[in-house]
Amino acid sequence: MNPKTASKIDGIIKKYSQGHGRLLGMLEEIQRENPHNYLPEDTLAYVARKTCIPYAKIYGVVTFYSFFNLIPQGDHCISICRGTACHTKGSKKILDYLRNNYDFEGEDTNDAKLFLTTRDRKITLRSVACFGQCALAPVVEVDGEIYGNMTVDGLKKIIEKF
Amino acid sequence: MNKQVRIKINGSDYLMYDEITVLNACRNAGIKIPTLCYLEGVSQRASCGLCVVEIKGAKSLMRACVTNIREGIEIFTNTKRVRQARKTNLELLLANHPRNCLQCNKNMKCELQSMADELDVRECNYPNIRKKKVPVDNSSHSLFRDHEKCILCARCVEVCSQVQTVDAIEIAGRGMDAHVTTFFDRGLGNSECVNCGQCLLVCPTGALMARSEIDSVWKEIDDPDKFVIIQTAPAIRAAIGEEFGFPPGTGTTVRLAAALRKMNFDRVFDTQFTADLTIVEEGNELIERIKMGGTLPMITSCSPGWIRFAEEFYPGVLDHISSCKSPQQMFGAIAKTYYARKLNMDPRKISVISVMPCTAKKFEARRSEMTSAYEYWEKELKLKEKDRFPDVDYVLTTREMADMIKEAGVDYANISGERFDSPLGISTGAATIFGTTGGVMEAAVRTAYFELTGSELPKLDLEEVRGLKGVKQASLDINGKKINVAVSHGLSNAREIIREIKKGKSPYHSIEIMTCPGGCIGGGGQPIPADYEILKKRMEALYREDREMQVRQSHDNPAVKELYESFLDKPLGKLSHSLLHTKYTKRGIYS
Repeated sequence: MNPKTASKIDGIIKKYSQGHGRLLGMLEEIQRENPHNYLPEDTLAYVARKTCIPYAKIYGVVTFYSFFNLIPQGDHCISICRGTACHTKGSKKILDYLRNNYDFEGEDTNDAKLFLTTRDRKITLRSVACFGQCALAPVVEVDGEIYGNMTVDGLKKIIEKF
Repeated sequence: MNKQVRIKINGSDYLMYDEITVLNACRNAGIKIPTLCYLEGVSQRASCGLCVVEIKGAKSLMRACVTNIREGIEIFTNTKRVRQARKTNLELLLANHPRNCLQCNKNMKCELQSMADELDVRECNYPNIRKKKVPVDNSSHSLFRDHEKCILCARCVEVCSQVQTVDAIEIAGRGMDAHVTTFFDRGLGNSECVNCGQCLLVCPTGALMARSEIDSVWKEIDDPDKFVIIQTAPAIRAAIGEEFGFPPGTGTTVRLAAALRKMNFDRVFDTQFTADLTIVEEGNELIERIKMGGTLPMITSCSPGWIRFAEEFYPGVLDHISSCKSPQQMFGAIAKTYYARKLNMDPRKISVISVMPCTAKKFEARRSEMTSAYEYWEKELKLKEKDRFPDVDYVLTTREMADMIKEAGVDYANISGERFDSPLGISTGAATIFGTTGGVMEAAVRTAYFELTGSELPKLDLEEVRGLKGVKQASLDINGKKINVAVSHGLSNAREIIREIKKGKSPYHSIEIMTCPGGCIGGGGQPIPADYEILKKRMEALYREDREMQVRQSHDNPAVKELYESFLDKPLGKLSHSLLHTKYTKRGIYS
């Protein structure tokens, strides 16, 4: 790991040096600092070494919470709702449009648990069980912002602005 | 003392101390509560759901292992609701457990299987849905994990963390993806795992097993061109009887020797021979360190889990560890040099098999530096790198050996006793107690006293270092010099002792560290179960055998004397150094 990254992580670890449950906040911030929004293996090994928290324990935590990413994420994240309401309102169409028009890598088998990133690391595509906004179906989240009544054309316009 | 409270279990009144669990209260009252994940003093994950009981006033059923009693509590352990819930919970566990029990290594020894029988589960009302397939972990030389058979009780996780403080494993993922694994699923063989196998002793199913070498050993025995030597560790004789229905604590040394001979091993030898040799070498090393101002305290090196632990977590204390190889490795090196010469046989024809109470010994035998016999013969036999052979070829656990004895049709219960072969089967009482915590220290003291004073210890039994206390200490007066010794077993206790050394505050000259609770009698290769009551009995069996031996001090072993006279020359000599001593590696696997 390069010294700059290491010193950044050192600073974050210091902030969370005390208290029960400190690992979650610490890892969240470290992930945010990562240019690809994920926790690489060497970063987690470094955290384990520095905090004296067992390696396996840290791995247990980051694999439990879906918030943590263990593979590089795209610059932009699109989450598509696959709940019943959104499905009947055509969320599958939006999903398939992205799938067929962008070069995603990874295992694309399960609509309900989709998690793909394009080869150029521009876009990450995820499926979500429900946003709880069924009245606005189909719902899509782009970089943290929720869009209701989404269409393929509407999404195209958002992506154009990336 | 805690205050006492009045409680009711199944309508009967009891007076019990507060702050105990419902589970223990029921056990005190003689009521059995089924458990698959609970481990007294170690694990309370409450994951199996079998210990549920009904408590008056509570809406739902409560897990007895994590519910404390209180004044006036009314517990019901045998209602229809309880019985049905337990059955349902077990059926749910069985729903994603394989159904090939007949072929499973744990068949007839499986807690899950016997629980299904105890709870009278005769059918499974749920379809057999297999979890997401996680590949088996066969990365380790010692241990093997089959995730399909795992019920996620997490006993292994807790033992690794609480008892051994290694923390190599944890449950990763969740829901159907949850599985017990190492950092980034690298596998046990690529992790900080020290191969002690305490995890598999507590595994309620066949998910964790020792890597079997049974097939390879049969192949060696069946090969007419191979001269196959078996060596058996001290702790085997105090435990293997349990596999054949003998009560714990039955010493079956002579039966074992007879059984091994019946299995067509060409020589039936005893690792105790090299245990005596270890004491002579290590005793002299300690005396040299004391006299020459070497690194002290000196720590024993016979326990390969401890060695791996020190290499991983405490590379700074490696200089404290005796350079002596373990008795298993000394045996391999001596068998393929000294004994090969005696037989006038090419060492490549000799196969050395060990029976060990230990899973870490499998790893130890494969350490790349354990090829001293090859180096000894290299020039004389014009060997090339491709000919390199290990000092010890295969390592069987106590359980594997028992399986082989059964398969060979040897009637262990009715066999008449025999002795080990000479000369590598000759040993003393000092070597016998190597198998229990404190034994190596006691044996070393017997010999060190003689070496330093020229006279025998007035009393051979060193009571202070016996027993199951985590850390034991003793002070001895040898020739007016005070020698302090300490003994620990279980790696959490080892950490205590090492912390003192790192602070420069260790008052000891010599320390014995054993990886497993109880020492080798509680090793990961031993018969299951191995709880403290059973360990005590195995321990007694070894001390009994020591008392009954004619020769009880390693330096009096006539075969060891002969070995020095005709081959090794002297302790710590040139040949001793190349065959009997070793070096350690700083590891830090993730750094």
